[in-house]
Amino acid sequence: MRTRLLIGAVGVAMGAFGALRLLQLDLPDVIDALLWLAGGVLLHDAVIAPLTIGLTVLATRVVPPRARVRVTVGLVVLATVTVTAVPVLGRFGEKPDNPTILDRDYVLGWVVFAVAVVVGTLVAGPLARMVRPGKEKPLTPSAG
Amino acid sequence: MKRPPIPTEAAFTSPLRDPRLTARIGTWLGIAFGLCFATGLVSHWYYLSDAPFFPPVRPIWGYRVTQGVHVLSGIAAIPLLLVKLWSVYPKLFGEVPVGRLRPLLVNLAEKASIAVLVAASIFQLATGLANQSQWYPWSFSFRSTHYAVAWIAIGALVVHIAVKLPIIREAYAAPLPEPEDNPLLAPVSGNASTRSDHGPSRRTLLRTALLASGVAVVAAAGNTVPFLRKVSVFAARTGEGPQGVPVNRSAQAAGVLASVVGPEFRLTLAHGDREVTLSRDQLASMTQRTHELPIACVEGWSASGSWTGVRFSELLDLVDAPADADLRIRSLQQRGAFGVTRIPASFARDPLTLLALRLNGEDLTIDHGSPCRLIAPNRPGVFQTKWVSRIEVVA
Repeated sequence: MRTRLLIGAVGVAMGAFGALRLLQLDLPDVIDALLWLAGGVLLHDAVIAPLTIGLTVLATRVVPPRARVRVTVGLVVLATVTVTAVPVLGRFGEKPDNPTILDRDYVLGWVVFAVAVVVGTLVAGPLARMVRPGKEKPLTPSAG
Repeated sequence: MKRPPIPTEAAFTSPLRDPRLTARIGTWLGIAFGLCFATGLVSHWYYLSDAPFFPPVRPIWGYRVTQGVHVLSGIAAIPLLLVKLWSVYPKLFGEVPVGRLRPLLVNLAEKASIAVLVAASIFQLATGLANQSQWYPWSFSFRSTHYAVAWIAIGALVVHIAVKLPIIREAYAAPLPEPEDNPLLAPVSGNASTRSDHGPSRRTLLRTALLASGVAVVAAAGNTVPFLRKVSVFAARTGEGPQGVPVNRSAQAAGVLASVVGPEFRLTLAHGDREVTLSRDQLASMTQRTHELPIACVEGWSASGSWTGVRFSELLDLVDAPADADLRIRSLQQRGAFGVTRIPASFARDPLTLLALRLNGEDLTIDHGSPCRLIAPNRPGVFQTKWVSRIEVVA
């Protein structure tokens, strides 16, 4: 318990240092930063998380049970990696005077990535059965 | 039948949402955050002009590596954070012990600390990701705010670990897989299975989060790892540019006109009352040296170039600058910070530091800082001043 209290105190001190640094900014900047801080939590808790749950419920009704694992893996990779690509996909930082930034076709890149995920999802099951045939006996009812 | 508008914690039924999964993803996320914070501090140190001691001049690729790790560990954290938040989302609807004061206060304090942790974590990853492609949809200063909130995030994380330590210990003591754990091979409907929904196991979900994290890193790393340029479909830069090197800020954006860097350009060296002015031709007639040095920017991109120009210390000798004196570098740029910077004596006197006139065998283009720019080993790109017009000995 003493160790935990000590670690906690260190954390509080580090966070307080950051909070003081933040409050030293100009007031409009502090307000803007606080809005962005709150906005991120709202975006996740009120939009992204409920959407994810909704899509999961939908997927469990549409996706056949034997493909459920593979589809979950594919969708998690597709969705979370796409989040990391939002700024480049939107080209928000594009500058007409500087062609060396955002100098790819990111939409095409995303399509290639998405196709790779779909293909991976489709072949993962058969591939795994080929590699480890002994581990699954779904087609022999007696095994149940 | 009327459903309540807000679910309770028990309404979330997935067996995957379990401390055994959360603790393990949390560990990986903690490693990513730790790396990101440490390399962020290194970057902050490079940017300090009044530090008690300065970064070393070697290795020449030091900042290239630490800043590459900074940006990539931040990107690696995004899929991990999303999966981790998913695994604990029901806690948001956990029962609040109203009525008894002490449990209520403890509960509210913990909820507040989690809110700070989640807010600061999302803020850091979102602002860092946007900065990588020079997207600034906010009005606050990126650098000072990102630095302040970094301390808040890491402090809240340390508090979180202290609070959760018993749960983490318990989670690691229990095995992660369920009895019939069988990644990738899902049983066919109707056959024997210990799980009712045929969904993935906890181990599979942990591996999936790590896979997504790795894919996100590879998709972005071409910015700074040359051999990944072809596969990094989401890298903000291909690494191409005039003379084989990308441009962070163009002459137009910096307010530098072609007319002021033309034939009438003069470089001024100043040491107290002594001043020496040199034209570009005079600079070109001095001993020229060529060094392979990287440009590494805070946005996480870097590229190596072959720079040719005058050794910086030989310029300083023209005005008999003391060997231990720092220098002030002025640029012709009209807009943006870092038009005037200070270079410590250790960097100014390094034999590899050049006032470069040429890049990869050609005269510098105006966007690369024509007629002359500073290039030193192991420094953030913003201190590799372009369009250098005046070098002063700091008294």
